[in-house]
Amino acid sequence: MSTDLIMNGLQQSLILAIIAYGIMIPFRFLDFADLTADGAYPLGGAICAICMSGGVHPALAIFYGMICAGAMGVCTALIHLKFRVNSMLGGVILSAMAYSVNLRIMGKPNIALFDYDGLFGANIINNMLLIVTLLACCMIPFAVFLRTDFGLRFRVVGLNPNLAQLQCISIEKYTIFGLFLAGALFGLAGSLMVQLQSYMDVGIGVGILIHGLASLMIGEAIISNSTLNRQLLAPLLGALVYQQVQGVALSLGLAPSDLKFFTGTIVLLVIALKKSKTKMSG
Amino acid sequence: MLQLNNVSKSFSGIFEPVLKEINLSVAEGEFCTVIGANGSGKSTLMKIISGEHLADSGKIKKNGDVTQVVQDVNKGTIPSMTMLENIALSRMKTPRFSFYKRHKNEIVDKIRSLNIGLEKFIDQPLSVLSGGQRQTIATLMALNSGRKILLLDEHTSALDPKMQKMLMEYTARSIRELGLTTLMITHNMEEAVKYGDRLIMMHNGRIVFDLKGSKKSQLKIQSLLEMFHKFEDQNLLYGGKNVH
Repeated sequence: MSTDLIMNGLQQSLILAIIAYGIMIPFRFLDFADLTADGAYPLGGAICAICMSGGVHPALAIFYGMICAGAMGVCTALIHLKFRVNSMLGGVILSAMAYSVNLRIMGKPNIALFDYDGLFGANIINNMLLIVTLLACCMIPFAVFLRTDFGLRFRVVGLNPNLAQLQCISIEKYTIFGLFLAGALFGLAGSLMVQLQSYMDVGIGVGILIHGLASLMIGEAIISNSTLNRQLLAPLLGALVYQQVQGVALSLGLAPSDLKFFTGTIVLLVIALKKSKTKMSG
Repeated sequence: MLQLNNVSKSFSGIFEPVLKEINLSVAEGEFCTVIGANGSGKSTLMKIISGEHLADSGKIKKNGDVTQVVQDVNKGTIPSMTMLENIALSRMKTPRFSFYKRHKNEIVDKIRSLNIGLEKFIDQPLSVLSGGQRQTIATLMALNSGRKILLLDEHTSALDPKMQKMLMEYTARSIRELGLTTLMITHNMEEAVKYGDRLIMMHNGRIVFDLKGSKKSQLKIQSLLEMFHKFEDQNLLYGGKNVH
């Protein structure tokens, strides 16, 4: 593999890590199977693209993308909480709806942004530093939050909802907050990807969930999620490893069209390994 | 203070009500033990007081928030969280945007006062502890929650005799010190006689006797067992129908 390929892989994996964090928050802290990523990721990208083409500063365009995708996460939470719709079903329905919404926002299936200045330049190291900074700006406050009274209550919502109710913890408020955060992270990843590629296509979100999930699973398989620190490190580590594995597989001749099959196999393998490990230790 | 007026409860599929017009008034700081055979309605009564079940009819008046320790330790604790996190959680009546570790020294002192060496596990997940040790922590959580009404549902039943005695002594002492209004379900007649200011027996969804003051303090295990068996025999004779 060439250095360029590795560096590009690293750059992509940092964006993938943001998605993996977005998946981790509802899955691991709220026990909420959220499938909004496939809709919120392109929504963030679409908002960012349309803002940039309208002359909005690229940083502000990212912010708007995050807010809108976060709002989509809130909608998923409300559909589940108010109408008692299964969390997965709610996410799938909203993601399908988001496709039409994105087309409406963009006015066409794709937008080229080559004539507009984004946050990224030609220097790949600087680009990576920028993504790491943005990721740190989101995740360090979140890691600190988890160690506060409110953060502890947030974690209880997913671990023991009965106890949460006994402790007078509002499951609704924390679920809405968590899904907003997850949605905003998907929006951030979508916006960054659009600026990195200088191009937005309405189909960029198809299957993004499975890539993020694979990253999270791989990360947890490598360092486990037995402590809070390990849990918070797992998505980043998983994304870095997963993207490199993907790169190796492609360089060894795997057809890009087989990538999703490859990813699905990895996810299933990791789940099977985890289960057999639990059986052996239990 | 805890007051129940004509509280009844039925469950679908069960012909007879589980609770039948229960009237009970527990004074502030009063420690009340509840005995009764399985199916007499004790746990349903607790669940109605805690808000887990809604009563079909009647009124419940509580002068404070309720905390409880149940038999199933997994319901009252989070095994994957550390001991510190579990206990800190129970102390957060008014959560703040500050680190929960600020409670650490105070919590370690509390655990140390139990004299069973659990303080060394303060930063370990609760899953490393035995069931009895976890139940001790669950009790500690309830006692330190700052809530006024405490419900204990056979909280020592899964422990070995030594641990049972230690935890019961600690619970009773803390209830006195904190002035908690307490309802404690137990099947242990010795506990029922020894602890508490008042003893209630339930049978077929009703309170069938209620002893307090000198009557309670003079009560002997033998006479309590005789009363218990009298109701049980009636239950067998009359096919579970209420005879009062």
